[in-house]
Amino acid sequence: MSLQEIQACSLVVAAGGRWRDGTQAEFLNAIRDGTLPQEAFQRWLVQDYYFVKGLTTFVAITIAKTPRPSQKILIAGLVALDAELDWFEQHAQQQSLDLTTAMHPICKRYVDYLVASAYTQPFEVLLAMLYGVEASYTSGWSALDAAGPYAEFIHRWSNELFVDYVGELLKTCNRHPHHSRQTQFNEVLRHECNFWRMTWEG
Amino acid sequence: MLHESLWQRNQDLADQFLVHPFVHGLGDGTLDRDVFRRYVAQDAFFLRAFAKAYALAMAKCDDFPHVQEFHDLIAGVLSELTLHADYSASLDINLHDVEPLPATSTYTNFLISVAWHDSLAEIVAAMVPCLRLYAYIGMALKPSLRPGNPYQGWIETYSSDEFLQLCSKLETLLDQIGSDVASVHNAYRYALQCELDFFSAPLADRS
Repeated sequence: MSLQEIQACSLVVAAGGRWRDGTQAEFLNAIRDGTLPQEAFQRWLVQDYYFVKGLTTFVAITIAKTPRPSQKILIAGLVALDAELDWFEQHAQQQSLDLTTAMHPICKRYVDYLVASAYTQPFEVLLAMLYGVEASYTSGWSALDAAGPYAEFIHRWSNELFVDYVGELLKTCNRHPHHSRQTQFNEVLRHECNFWRMTWEG
Repeated sequence: MLHESLWQRNQDLADQFLVHPFVHGLGDGTLDRDVFRRYVAQDAFFLRAFAKAYALAMAKCDDFPHVQEFHDLIAGVLSELTLHADYSASLDINLHDVEPLPATSTYTNFLISVAWHDSLAEIVAAMVPCLRLYAYIGMALKPSLRPGNPYQGWIETYSSDEFLQLCSKLETLLDQIGSDVASVHNAYRYALQCELDFFSAPLADRS
């Protein structure tokens, strides 16, 4: 499934302007323009690491609630998250960043929302939420050319394999519709928007 | 005592409540009625999450006498919700279809996340500030309460012996279950911060 198909799915279309708000950011524009302050990049690196730790919890619980035939893509995603945490830790070490500092309140709100939902929402809704997290992230980064000092970071979330993974998530979502999934998909986008704003504004 | 130590170490946040415009308005009776209506609706939404958090804490008890304590605390929340139901009639508020404000969602998502995912000590640490703070505000406002204050019922409820006993019960549980570690302190302080934002939200929201 292509990025265009991901961006044209019914969840994205029904989200309207929220999709744009959750996928376009000053932070990404500054990477494209070569004007990103180091402070903002380091803030993003640390807070995104905390976010991925929370997302790992969310995915683990979602796997436990999801019927067997649809678990496969989620388990593959969880393994990838483990590698991603290693990758963040290596980058933090290279840049002498402390990964034990406090989580930013915006990041904490997002993670609390995900973990609370993981325990209280039906698995169909959780699948749509995960799709929202991953689809918005790949869309945001894919708007940039994987070149320049941040090429590795852009490539990580815009490469073909990651887009394929998001496409598989969408197919899984579509096998399990639920009447309240759009509301939580939109809520994920609201948190994405706030997260991006935090990376830029502090 | 752990509960006293946590309260004292977070006095900087607690102090902000006594000069907060919402609390000031309750104290002298000048709080805008619509602000209070919004607050009651949000508080009813919050208390339902609070009751669930107690239930989840109860499920995590190894020590059976603690189960009885949580049972009493749940009864306290249900009684508080009855008070809100009385308000809903007199203030014409629909408490059954409340849309949470962002500050309310932040607080309830935190509480539910901790209650499901974290330890019993962290759950209790996240819940004590709500009771201690309301008792603190109630006790601070009671001496200057004047006849005719429309918020007399609120002030008397949260300075009552019954409420103070509930607060002491939960603080005693914290002393028995918790220890002075970062995760307990962080949960306690974050809950106080959530309370501050919760009190501010009805003043800012004009819907």
